[in-house]
Amino acid sequence: MSRINKNVILALLTLTSSAFLLFQLYYYKHYLSAKNGASLSKQRGSRVGFEGTQWRAVKKFIMLTSSQNVPVFLIDPLILELIDKNSGQVKNVSHGSTSECKFFCVPRDFTAFALQYHLWKNEEGWFRLAENMGFQCLKIESKDPRLDGIDSLSGTEIPLHYICKLASHAIHLVIFYERSGNYLWHGHLRLKGHIDKKFVPFRKLQFGRYPGAFDRPELQHITVDGLEVLIPKDPMHFLEEVPHSRFIECRYKEARAFFQQYLDDNTVEAMAFRKSAKELLQLAAKTLKKLGVRFWLSSGTCLGWYRQCNIISYSKDVDLGIFIKDYRSDIISAFQDAGLPLKHKFGKVEDSLELSFQGKDDVKLDIFFFYEETDHMWNGGTQAKTGKKFKYLFPKFTLCWTEFVDMKVHVPCETIEYIEANYGKTWKIPVKTWDWKRSPPNVQPNGVWPISEWDEVIQLY
Amino acid sequence: MDDWKPSPLVKPFGARKKRSWYLTWKYKLTNQRALRRFCQTGAVLFLLVTVIVNIKLILDTRRAINEANEDPEPEQDYDEALGRLEPPRRRGSGPQRVLDVEVYSSRSKVYVAVDGTTVLEDEAREQGRGIHVIVLNQATGHVMAKRVFDTYSPHEDEAMVLFLNMVAPGRVLICTIKDEGSFHLKDTAKALLRSLGSQAGPALGWRDTWAFVGRKGGPVLGEKHSKSPALSSWGDPVLLKTDVPLSSAEEAECHWADTELNRRRRRFCSKVEGYGSVCSCKDPTPIEFSPDPLPDNKVLNVPVAVIAGNRPNYLYRMLRSLLSAQGVSPQMITVFIDGYYEEPMDVVALFGLRGIQHTPISIKNARVSQHYKASLTATFNLFPEAKFAVVLEEDLDIAVDFFSFLSQSIHLLEEDDSLYCISAWNDQGYEHTAEDPALLYRVETMPGLGWVLRKSLYKEELEPKWPTPEKLWDWDMWMRMPEQRRGRECIIPDVSRSYHFGIVGLNMNGYFHEAYFKKHKFNTVPGVQLRNVDSLKKEAYEMEVHRLLSEAEVLDHSKNPCEDSFLPDTEGHTYVAFIRMEKDDDFTTWTQLAKCLHIWDLDVRGNHRGLWRLFRKKNHFLVVGVPASPYSMKKPPSVTPIFLEPPPKEEGAPGAAEQT
Repeated sequence: MSRINKNVILALLTLTSSAFLLFQLYYYKHYLSAKNGASLSKQRGSRVGFEGTQWRAVKKFIMLTSSQNVPVFLIDPLILELIDKNSGQVKNVSHGSTSECKFFCVPRDFTAFALQYHLWKNEEGWFRLAENMGFQCLKIESKDPRLDGIDSLSGTEIPLHYICKLASHAIHLVIFYERSGNYLWHGHLRLKGHIDKKFVPFRKLQFGRYPGAFDRPELQHITVDGLEVLIPKDPMHFLEEVPHSRFIECRYKEARAFFQQYLDDNTVEAMAFRKSAKELLQLAAKTLKKLGVRFWLSSGTCLGWYRQCNIISYSKDVDLGIFIKDYRSDIISAFQDAGLPLKHKFGKVEDSLELSFQGKDDVKLDIFFFYEETDHMWNGGTQAKTGKKFKYLFPKFTLCWTEFVDMKVHVPCETIEYIEANYGKTWKIPVKTWDWKRSPPNVQPNGVWPISEWDEVIQLY
Repeated sequence: MDDWKPSPLVKPFGARKKRSWYLTWKYKLTNQRALRRFCQTGAVLFLLVTVIVNIKLILDTRRAINEANEDPEPEQDYDEALGRLEPPRRRGSGPQRVLDVEVYSSRSKVYVAVDGTTVLEDEAREQGRGIHVIVLNQATGHVMAKRVFDTYSPHEDEAMVLFLNMVAPGRVLICTIKDEGSFHLKDTAKALLRSLGSQAGPALGWRDTWAFVGRKGGPVLGEKHSKSPALSSWGDPVLLKTDVPLSSAEEAECHWADTELNRRRRRFCSKVEGYGSVCSCKDPTPIEFSPDPLPDNKVLNVPVAVIAGNRPNYLYRMLRSLLSAQGVSPQMITVFIDGYYEEPMDVVALFGLRGIQHTPISIKNARVSQHYKASLTATFNLFPEAKFAVVLEEDLDIAVDFFSFLSQSIHLLEEDDSLYCISAWNDQGYEHTAEDPALLYRVETMPGLGWVLRKSLYKEELEPKWPTPEKLWDWDMWMRMPEQRRGRECIIPDVSRSYHFGIVGLNMNGYFHEAYFKKHKFNTVPGVQLRNVDSLKKEAYEMEVHRLLSEAEVLDHSKNPCEDSFLPDTEGHTYVAFIRMEKDDDFTTWTQLAKCLHIWDLDVRGNHRGLWRLFRKKNHFLVVGVPASPYSMKKPPSVTPIFLEPPPKEEGAPGAAEQT
């Protein structure tokens, strides 16, 4: 009977496939506990819940680091956010009950950790151990930016990123370096020629697209999903920093070339000015940070940073920019409390606001407030004698971190556009006589303040 | 219909369950043939797919495991990189791996070429006299060491014997004489040359030329020799051309256990020669030292900058002693090498430390000075949190309690603004003038040679006005100038915690070293507890000095202070002598006294407000300059200060005598 035959065949096939299914289940278990984790197709890995690939990879990684006393801390934005949301529960979970894997089992390609490099005692040994445990690691190295500022030093390359893959999940270890200015820096994850571009989906990495700068976070131990990890004490603050962490290095090479052409001014007066300007900038940065107001280096100070990585010795003042949307009414009093009396105030919050404070040794601090339009930004200027208004136009820009005179400060990321708007294409040539009403190529007359408003918009002290 | 469609999620159901499902459906759908057939086909297809997926899975896993087992060694890359760096390349990779070596010896020129690449060429006048020795790796042909021993001068042959004995067996040795190499070539050295198989070596005579290629402990591969016909003339130039067969890499290497440390060792030993037992196959000397940690170490996180030039053997010795010191933290150490020299970098890598190279700027003293500046700036950039940095040089031995000494005293730099530095070196601490390892002094001169620099001092004062490259100044002399020092003082120990062993250097020669450095006292006792550290603070120290002067016995000023009997043969007493010192900068008598005491007399060192403190015959010996010193009031009225006449001018004082 053909029908029975068919049934028999069907039954046989069912049996075989069941056998295979059983084998598959068995094998999967075997595979998970195997040391030499092999790469499986991704769909398989991510579908498994608790005890899944992610959790195992993270667990192994944490075991590895804690056995070697390497104080890595979790910086994965996705998980930190979850932890922050569930902060009440996490503490409750800390003792025992690991019934539910809520954080480390969320499907994702990477888990990001960070490490301060100077706390890493035995990097090479750690690396070997990781490979023995089944991790496939990729190390991204580059030259040390901390030596860039010093003429003619070349060190060995420093590790910037480690990507360690276990089965389908990868741990991204971002190496943080301490920089002058009390902040942590991580490097750009640049794939060099010989690196396997398909090692992991690099595009999905949360860190490394650009170099980044962060405040040094305080850390705390917590237990999540049965694993004890270090996380920033204030995860929210860290998470807020992540999208705005992009860092740009000063152009030390070009600065050296500049000084070869124009020679550095090392007179006593120049050194004294730089010293007071630096102190003023530090004081201003501290004051604004306390208020939580973002600022960036503007005008001459920005040019000094970009062109010569230093304060221009004949510039006479320190210039900062602040978005008008970040304006706070207590800025003036805060500066006064810091020992910087208001020198003049031009304009008003709605229009062309500009503050100027008197620092020590006749160094002035100018704060320009920037107004955002649909296709450009501008700040205003006022001539005290005539009440004339001026407008300085800038292409739109975003803010990046940089290091300047041992400080972490903001500058426009699109620096060259910003500087060329303000100083023209010839910004490379030092100019000592500068008329702020006429010299900038981006200045526009903007009418005159009505006399009735003068008392408000032109205040001189 | 759709319900029946097998979804992967149903997979885990057992066979029996599936069968009953099927049966139920079979009865229900028994009349719908077409439908049933469709279902059957579907089921068969599904099963087939499952089988295929499983097989693929097995294959995938197999492959991945194989890949993991292959485990590509990163070291391979490194070796390849090494191969690229060195110019001499082996001739093909076939069985006839042979180097052709040319060696030339003559009165005014020597050169050695390996496979057409010149690895040594010296035709400079009045330089490079003696026997030039080159060591090649027998497997790769790389130059592992290059030395010249001026065996025309005394003792150089001893250094050559020492060096040749350190070379591992099997290495290729090349020797060639420039000018003269036999005058002080003694029997031991000649015997060694004989043992290398050389015919002419043991018989070398005045102004002979000689070229030799041989394997250490193996056959001679070529030798040429030309006797000098007369005292006033040289042997004819000789040119030796010979083939050197290369051996396999395995033969050239030792079989050390495969550990992290030995990997570093192997890398090092396949590149350079002349470091003795570190490359010994049987019993290599350790390259990791685990000195006891220091309890409550206050300098654990203080960066250590080692300033180095191209004296890799010195650096090797220095780093050994540094890494053996109690409380050292290797990751805080950075070695700054002035120039792109490979061998010092190899030494740094051997110990697993961080090395930074510096493109030389300027010349001579200014070059050293610029190197210092770059190194100090880099140190504070690399360790922005550090408040201090320890500055060391490559020609120093570091005492076992160096960090313990600093840990106990570093708080002084934080608490006392009148301090300029803490130094491990006592300029006047010779074997016969230093005694007490627990004793500290305050001095107005900056000794250097292992010292602690405060970051604020560097960043705020020194760095901005550091001498620019065109000023050919010594950095240390500059730091000692009153404009920089501004009346501040340094803390030093009575018994130095560093020892200056460098004989070759910018401002150094053998005579100078013998006279001023060799007999320096160096502490070898671990864990010395410093006495009364807080009494080194400005005010407390004055009280201490007054106390000392009050209890000191005044010496007999009628005696000659240069005579040994000037101090009584006692132990543990405190004595004071008063010398004439008209003004703050009048050191006439002191310099003469220093000269006859055989201590540092090239400039004034170790004074504190016109007071010098040292030990003589195990007694504390104080010298006060009257009337310039504020301590002159302690002088009994009856005592006339000693005055020593400077000798009439005969010879110019050694000019460039500076201890950099």
